[in-house]
Amino acid sequence: MMLRTVSSSPLAPSVKVRLINAGFHTAADLTEVQPLQLCKAAGISPEEADEVLRTLRDDSSPLQQGAAVQSLTALDLLHQEETRGSIVTFCSELDAVLGGGVPVGKTTEICGVPGVGKTQLCVQLAVDVQIPVCFGGLGGEAVFIDTEGGFVVERLVGVAEAAVKHCAALAEDEEQRKALESFSVEKILSGVFLIRCQDHTELLAELHLLHDFLRKRPQVQLVVIDSVAFPFRHELEDLSHRTRILTGFSQQLTHLSAQHGAAVVLTNQMTTKVSSGQSKLVPALGEIWGHAATQRLILHWEGAQRFASLYKSSSHRDATVPYHITAEGFRDASVSASSASSLSPAAGSHSKRPRTEHQHS
Amino acid sequence: MLCQSISPCIDKARVATLQDELLNASTGSDMVLLREGLCPGLSEDLIKALHGGDVRTVEDLVLSDPEHLAQKCSVSYKALVAVRRVLLAQHTAFPVSGADLYDELLSSTSILSTGITSVDNLLDSGLYTGEITELCGGPGTGKTQMCFSVAVNVAHELKQKVMYIDTNGGICANRLLQMLQQKTVNTAEQMNALQRISVLRVFDVFALLSSLQNLRASGLQKGAVGGSVKAVIVDSVSAVLSHMLGGKQNEGMSLMMQVATELKMIAKDFNVAVLVTNHVTRDGNNQLKAGLGQSWSHVPRTRILLQRVEKPGASSSLRTATLLKSSRQPCYMIEEFDLSPQPQGESRTGFAGKRKLDTDS
Ligand SMILES: Nc1ncnc2c1ncn2[C@@H]1O[C@H](COP(=O)(O)OP(=O)(O)OP(=O)(O)O)[C@@H](O)[C@H]1O
Ligand SMILES: [Mg+2]
Repeated sequence: MMLRTVSSSPLAPSVKVRLINAGFHTAADLTEVQPLQLCKAAGISPEEADEVLRTLRDDSSPLQQGAAVQSLTALDLLHQEETRGSIVTFCSELDAVLGGGVPVGKTTEICGVPGVGKTQLCVQLAVDVQIPVCFGGLGGEAVFIDTEGGFVVERLVGVAEAAVKHCAALAEDEEQRKALESFSVEKILSGVFLIRCQDHTELLAELHLLHDFLRKRPQVQLVVIDSVAFPFRHELEDLSHRTRILTGFSQQLTHLSAQHGAAVVLTNQMTTKVSSGQSKLVPALGEIWGHAATQRLILHWEGAQRFASLYKSSSHRDATVPYHITAEGFRDASVSASSASSLSPAAGSHSKRPRTEHQHS
Repeated sequence: MLCQSISPCIDKARVATLQDELLNASTGSDMVLLREGLCPGLSEDLIKALHGGDVRTVEDLVLSDPEHLAQKCSVSYKALVAVRRVLLAQHTAFPVSGADLYDELLSSTSILSTGITSVDNLLDSGLYTGEITELCGGPGTGKTQMCFSVAVNVAHELKQKVMYIDTNGGICANRLLQMLQQKTVNTAEQMNALQRISVLRVFDVFALLSSLQNLRASGLQKGAVGGSVKAVIVDSVSAVLSHMLGGKQNEGMSLMMQVATELKMIAKDFNVAVLVTNHVTRDGNNQLKAGLGQSWSHVPRTRILLQRVEKPGASSSLRTATLLKSSRQPCYMIEEFDLSPQPQGESRTGFAGKRKLDTDS
């Protein structure tokens, strides 16, 4: 039985109307039809007829359907989550709150006022995603989409140098020493693909290209967009129009991260909101946008101390921890916490042994 | 075997007409005397009590009004209905329309607990099969957590299957496992429950529609393990619909109503509880209201609004649930619940514990 209907298919509305007027309502009505017949019967172009048949026949064949929409059990998904792992932040307290780091295959939004450390964390992640597997890392690569012009390559170099040093101090066996040979600052720099986008149209266009790029380079396990707020805050005045574009955009991001098994990390600014006479800082882009990412992290100041708060996550309870930004990058606020940390591997299977001996230099 | 926690509540009028059919159909067929061991739950005591009500054969039992009979013989109504169902299943050969009747009886409403007592109170015991229930709320208000709780409850407590359709990347098998670990320490049971939850990931409305149509075409028969699908969860419908509505687009409304129709048919035809999530917007007076507008508001039979409890000093995992629409309970009833209730006893969940160790090591 084929229940796929013409009206529910992703075809152009005008084509759908013609099909329905010509009496084609379901996929079953189209099984016996040749493309040319369809052209004549419905008055559509050969290209359109081709597309109609491809769309509706593919969907209705169970084999193809399985490929189009992956159906798995929650147990399969659990295995998938465990093998995909997370990207460590180098702040062990934050890693603990996130359950090992920023999860691969999900979307994470980092919100905060200017200068609190959003870009720093993104740069740190772009380096950390490349940590070799034998050190408990993912051995991946990163795409960094810069919309604010805030990406500074010198900073990337500094963070990369510190990470290389960090791993060098941890190396214990032959495999790790060997891995270190190719884990150099140059290698890290070439593993970050920088894309500059000027406005939201470029950003949306870029997203379409990313699917192809990620298919060709499966080693890319992190996509950073720093920031989403900037292009959308300044260019779209009509609020409901903006909300619609943003919701569509967030669906594409979710799709991208789930399909390619990449962590998608977005940054967002803060804005003041007045409610019942009190003003407070809330993430920008409106309340609906708050649904966009799987998890939301808010970076904020408390006096002279920086804090990271997990504000929404579908797997971990909300929590707030302090952090520091040092010359080396994103780090624990307290020395005692950092001495307890190592590379805090997210996927337990990657870690070869506990490493408690390391002190940050 | 019938599950105790699915409480049957039969539509009386429907049963009455079916009984008429049965009467006509079954005249002349063999008499099967009620005896112990004929079916689970049919104890000697029950048989004796039934004799008191002049019920001696399977036919007598099937043709009697269970409520009346329960009173007359002072036996449990629930037990009586359960026994009746099983007998009907076993004796499908005797009345001509027995199979139909059995289907009808099976398709009588069940109530599925959400796993959260206070929310069950709000819902008059839980989610009703054959109906669509909606959770709406802002970001991080616990919609996805509640979906997880329902899925875990149906899969573990009722040993029935769940179809979980994720459209916004919120699904997290690790969290499902955490919830299962609070219910049982038996890993095999945990794994079995996870296998009863089928996950479909779709990211746009066309994929959602085609999955729903395929589900209906395949009769919801998915997955390898036993049990039947009792709940279909869509988290969230607004993620794939809201950006298609409004503005210059006119297809969105039609697609939304197609989603509504598919969900209603699935709920009715397969007698499953359908649970959907929706976002919220604000009206002119800054009051929260469910998203997707007026036309959608008729789709769910029951609607609950989830909100964070913004009290200073209150735990950040505290939420309220407000009944916005119901045919059974007074609207605007409010209940409070905790997203991370303290697990009973000392038991810290095994997985979270292990994760943490890895992170700190
Ligand atoms: N393991 C956990 N233990 C305790 N609480 C948790 C846990 N995981 C998540 N939570 C709580 O659940 C909240 C997130 O809820 P949920 O994912 O259901 O939001 P949601 O309503 O689905 O939001 P959105 O609309 O953005 O999808 C977190 O902020 C946290 O308070
Ligand atoms: Mg959610």
